Amino acid sequence: MNVLGFGPGLTPAFPSPPVSAQEPSEVITQEAGIRTPAGRSLRITPLVGEGDLVAQGAPVACLRDAPQVQLVAPMPGRVARISLQPGRKLSEIVLFREEGGDVMQHDVADTSTRVGLRKLMQAAGVWPWLQRRPFGGMPPADENPAAIVVMAMDTRPFAPDPRQALAGREAAFSRGLQALATMSEGPVFMCQTDGAPLVGPDLASDNLHIVKAAPRHPQGAAGFQVHALAPATIETSVWDIHAEDVAALGELLDTGILPMTRLVRLAGEGLRESLSIRTQPGADLRELTLRIANPGAHRLISGSPLDGHEAHWLGPRHRQVTVLPRPPKGKPPHWFVSALTRSGLPRPVIPTAALTQAFGAALPAVALVRALSSGDDEMAMKLGALSLLEDDIALVDYVLGGEAHLAVLLRGMLDRVQAEFAP
Amino acid sequence: MMKGLWDRETVALMLLAAYMPLALFWIWFGGGAALATLWIAVLCLAFWNFVFLLARAQPPSVAAVVTALAIAMLAPEGLGALRLVLGISFGVVMGELVFGGWGRNVVNPATVTLSFLGFGFPGYGWPGFDDPVVWAAFPAALIGVATGIMPAAVLGGALLVAGAALVLGAPVAEVAPAAWIVLVLLVVDPVTSASTSLGRWLNGGAYAGLVVFFATGWSGAAPVQMAIAAALLTSLATPLLDEIAITLWIAKRRRRHGRN
Repeated sequence: MNVLGFGPGLTPAFPSPPVSAQEPSEVITQEAGIRTPAGRSLRITPLVGEGDLVAQGAPVACLRDAPQVQLVAPMPGRVARISLQPGRKLSEIVLFREEGGDVMQHDVADTSTRVGLRKLMQAAGVWPWLQRRPFGGMPPADENPAAIVVMAMDTRPFAPDPRQALAGREAAFSRGLQALATMSEGPVFMCQTDGAPLVGPDLASDNLHIVKAAPRHPQGAAGFQVHALAPATIETSVWDIHAEDVAALGELLDTGILPMTRLVRLAGEGLRESLSIRTQPGADLRELTLRIANPGAHRLISGSPLDGHEAHWLGPRHRQVTVLPRPPKGKPPHWFVSALTRSGLPRPVIPTAALTQAFGAALPAVALVRALSSGDDEMAMKLGALSLLEDDIALVDYVLGGEAHLAVLLRGMLDRVQAEFAP
Repeated sequence: MMKGLWDRETVALMLLAAYMPLALFWIWFGGGAALATLWIAVLCLAFWNFVFLLARAQPPSVAAVVTALAIAMLAPEGLGALRLVLGISFGVVMGELVFGGWGRNVVNPATVTLSFLGFGFPGYGWPGFDDPVVWAAFPAALIGVATGIMPAAVLGGALLVAGAALVLGAPVAEVAPAAWIVLVLLVVDPVTSASTSLGRWLNGGAYAGLVVFFATGWSGAAPVQMAIAAALLTSLATPLLDEIAITLWIAKRRRRHGRN
């Protein structure tokens, strides 16, 4: 349904200085931190000790439950600190950069089969860039997805354009897509905006579908594409991956070296100028924004203003950094004002067109909100909540004024369903 | 925290803004008596909202003013303050506040109040409306639909069925102005009207269908009375309409994907 030419969705506007038009420069920060995505925990076994030298792409830790899945160093460096939480859960592994260090070369001879490719992706550090639905996080080591959704579009505010990230890497992108097609039990969907096709028509087949989606948020959120194209259920998991990571996978297959830089956009009200750069995952946000931030206290957010969170290091799947001025601490409101406004939370959600559009008009929004708020997990599952993650409905929480806490309710529902129904 | 706009109180204020043309024209033509009724309704609603704020920590909502406006415009004439307060107290407490306040109610408190007043005090005459007031409901509906706080599909469904009734020659000319005002004031309320697209079309159609049905078969009833009865019955049927729409949606998805 695209009657008006822009399709369902919203375009939330945030203040930010204009982006300088020059070609993105490569910025490798002096420190980098390997961490988990927000809200998830990973039990790991460190493979290096503090003070060891590591090459770029060399394993620094592996998962405790699946040792073949490795976390790798995003740059050549020295391990500065390994900090784990109780239960061997990863807190962060900090690396100091060493100029002129080695780059890890992988053996790519045996990657024509699914087993060989999976082994390479897990050893080279591509695995954590995948996200599975339902429930989120990286896929289990031996899982075969029912479909893979490749996101060559991003509609979040300030998101870098994947077309720019893929410019000049079309061959590697095609190579990566073909490789992914061998991983999937079903089809691979490549979602892109209207415009020139990102891969040649010869590549499109029964197994690889090119999907053109509307340009408004949340159409570029992977969850709503999964919801529309191949719903995730407990039995049928669906993976999603960013197109730039697919191109990196293609280059890994061609050369044996995994490229570790990605296009990242720095934006937000707290900056003097907005930048597009190429940097490594886990980059130090303070160093990235040091010279361009406004004076005064500000918040460094890994991710977009909608779904990001304050962090020290760039998140494993994040491609944007938002800098917002830290609001001054006001004095607390009078108790009577609090009674009038703050009692009885969460507030009820009033059905409006804004709510429908914030869900991309993809599902009965009010029914899903009511199912989530009342804890009706079965209804939420029937409405397609298993295809969604917190990031996808961050726009809804934003639109509703931040009082509905739907992302929290969705996470609670997913955790309950995982504990009760998942094998 | 970055915040969007569409929380409960924004929607309530937008509703109030949308009803402003209607309210101003009605006060202009109704004069002091209209203002007095509105004032009693607002006071009574404010009192009960305050009681529930203290007793159950339920934050009050600006939407109470919208409810008061609907009650004051549509209540039977010459009731006197006591009967009006009795009716409002029943309708607002039982229709809205015991469910948790505006946004959690299943029926519109104004509809409950007006039905209660109609059943309880049948001797009093129902109001009529001057033509400019009826016309002022158009900008109200326009603002509501344009800002997305009123479901356009409910209006669409109602107008479709009303148009069909006109073409078929049903005697709807007399009841139409009152039914239109009740549609804009009570039926398109975002909380208690249907919430799915198909459900909304059915909701509007059901309301207009009931009005046409009453207009043809209910002799001796005033137009406002018929419209309010239709609004009450429709809002009771609304959850069922939503349920039908959601079941159909789920079945359609299951057919397309083989899973949901």
